[in-house]
Amino acid sequence: MIKKRWGLALVTAVSVSLALSGCSPSTSEPGGPVTLSYWDFLDPSQDNPRSKALKENVANFEAANPDIKINLSVVSLGDMLNRLPQSAAAGQAPDVFKMFTPLVPQMASAGVYSPLPDAASEVTDWLRPTDTFAGPDGKQVAVPYEYRTCALYYNEKILSQIGATVPTTYEEVVDVAQKAAAAGFTGFGTGFSDTDNSAIISTFFNCFMTQVDQDIWTEDGQADFATQKAEEFGNFLAKLRDAKALGSNVVSDTYGTVADGMASGTVAMSVMGTERIVSFASQNPDIKWTALPKASTGDTTGTTIGWTLGIGSGSKNTEAAWKFIEYMTGPEAGAKMATGGEVPTRAATYEQPFFSTPEAKTVNDIAAYVKSNSEPRTYSNNWTSLATGLSQAGQRLTLNNLSGSEFIRSAQDAANKK
Amino acid sequence: MSTNNPTRTSYETATPSTGIQAFRRARKDRMVWVYVVPVTAVFLFVFVGPLIYTAWTALHETSYYQIGKFSGLNSFAELFSDSELPARIWTTLVFSLGALVIALPAGLLSAIVLNNLHRFKRSVRSLFLLPWLFSQATAGTIWLWFLNPNYGPASAITQALGFGPTDVFSSPNSALVAVTLMTAWWSYPQAMLLFLGALQTVPVELYESLKVDGGGIRHAFLNVTLPHLRNTIVSVVIVLLMLYVQMVTIILVTTRGGPIGSTETLSMRVYNQMFDRFDLSGASATAILLFAVNIVLTLVAIRFRRKESL
Repeated sequence: MIKKRWGLALVTAVSVSLALSGCSPSTSEPGGPVTLSYWDFLDPSQDNPRSKALKENVANFEAANPDIKINLSVVSLGDMLNRLPQSAAAGQAPDVFKMFTPLVPQMASAGVYSPLPDAASEVTDWLRPTDTFAGPDGKQVAVPYEYRTCALYYNEKILSQIGATVPTTYEEVVDVAQKAAAAGFTGFGTGFSDTDNSAIISTFFNCFMTQVDQDIWTEDGQADFATQKAEEFGNFLAKLRDAKALGSNVVSDTYGTVADGMASGTVAMSVMGTERIVSFASQNPDIKWTALPKASTGDTTGTTIGWTLGIGSGSKNTEAAWKFIEYMTGPEAGAKMATGGEVPTRAATYEQPFFSTPEAKTVNDIAAYVKSNSEPRTYSNNWTSLATGLSQAGQRLTLNNLSGSEFIRSAQDAANKK
Repeated sequence: MSTNNPTRTSYETATPSTGIQAFRRARKDRMVWVYVVPVTAVFLFVFVGPLIYTAWTALHETSYYQIGKFSGLNSFAELFSDSELPARIWTTLVFSLGALVIALPAGLLSAIVLNNLHRFKRSVRSLFLLPWLFSQATAGTIWLWFLNPNYGPASAITQALGFGPTDVFSSPNSALVAVTLMTAWWSYPQAMLLFLGALQTVPVELYESLKVDGGGIRHAFLNVTLPHLRNTIVSVVIVLLMLYVQMVTIILVTTRGGPIGSTETLSMRVYNQMFDRFDLSGASATAILLFAVNIVLTLVAIRFRRKESL
């Protein structure tokens, strides 16, 4: 019995110590080796250019900094949004993590970030202003890792088959999409599912609001965009619906399924992020891209979006974390990630030899497009509510026949709902 | 005289052994705590603690995962003034009872088949258990792929038959039916295992007697099998209802509560409030309501259980 009791005590002690060690934050000795926890949505073990570039960049950083090891965890954006606020509240936030631009203020409000160290202000060659990446106290919490904006993708073969030219206005998009739909294709690919954080419709909305010069939030963070300008977006979707040019399963379509549809040649057109240019080119040579169609303002300028890097709240390794971020956004790593089709964010990167090679033509074109056809936006701390609201409004637009203005108002109400 | 006193004799002679017995009993009684304390600790830690914490957060303002000042019953007032709440409760009931109505007979039928099977029993049992071997996320993903209107096998089949592509997740009613069926498919082996265990305790003699009296399969099922399974059925109903009322993963993977909230059960609402709107206080209030719904459903089920078995 005594043995059993000691056994029980031992098991309990081991379990408790294991549990406590699992819950305790990683610590490091000053000057000693450091292991940085890093969350990224890209899986470096995958066989695609972006993953390979990430893997090489991490390996090169470790080789250049033998005292710093990177412990990379692959976490999808959806999981990150759930887990980061929880881990930060428990003092377990990763040292470094990637975050989608529109979500930076929301995650900052959730206390997920540590302010960047003073050394961050020494980097001054960002291609876009970084003051949009500030936390509630106004301190900068993230730096841009990659830029992208929206573009119009179209299937050249389908357009040729229906005798249409590439549309340059949203009115023309509706006409061409209607013809494509009549020929048995999905005329215009978008999706109202919120299973992927409403990625496709919210990205499109974000760009469109810049096109029509419509602010999304008031200064106190309330969504306030239900104006005539924004209704143009709702009206465009309503016209596509009435023209039967949206996919039959638009309600449950996601960014991924629309991209699959484009790649497989069943979707004639779509507005998606520029990060798809390289992958579409390799998947289906019929897919071409061009600037966004003109809105009523005549503007084709979308929003500069992309991914950022920041330091997790409570990180004990801010110095090493910044060193890693500086490397990953720096010229050497930037040139490497550009080989995967991602657009680097610092001017110095474009002085690397790679950008003078023929292989860099596509990424140079994308970078030039992002520069000329997009502007950064300041976000409020309720992007997820807005994105979900847009999806649900889109579902109602399809299933309940909402008008364009009802769509916009419904999305705005959802964004402001607690 | 004293030696003739049986009581005293018994007392005197029994004193040492009774003392030992009393000591052993006391030691045994003390040993009970070795078992009771860990169970109580775990119960307090994994049930009572979170329940109190949930109620506590429901009574306070929250910002993400930070608990702010006391707000009284504001979260509950907001919950019950939400015009969408009745629809969510209705969806929860339709989903839970719908899945139960499918999984219960499916589980019972499978158990009866397995119980009467003499050849390939292991293979058939493995086949019947297959859905339950998948995690809920895997099951949801498999069905999502299978029913995908663009490249899913279901679409290929329906199109080959001259119907259009499967598009179950694009309409509120078909989406609810789909997630209900998927959940029933995933969970029926749980019922099957419980029924199979109970079926193996039914005395074979009863069936033989009934056979001698000229009873057929229907009589055997109604007069022997069902009465013996009554308490098991209630247990299965309780287990499955709790599972369905608390189901999140399959719905999350497939519809996330859409389209237009048609598959948002109370559990899914808790998830969405918590992780989409980061409304910890509101999610806690909904979770308390969910707990109450669970208790009511369980109590209703228990009422059908035989008193003598309680």
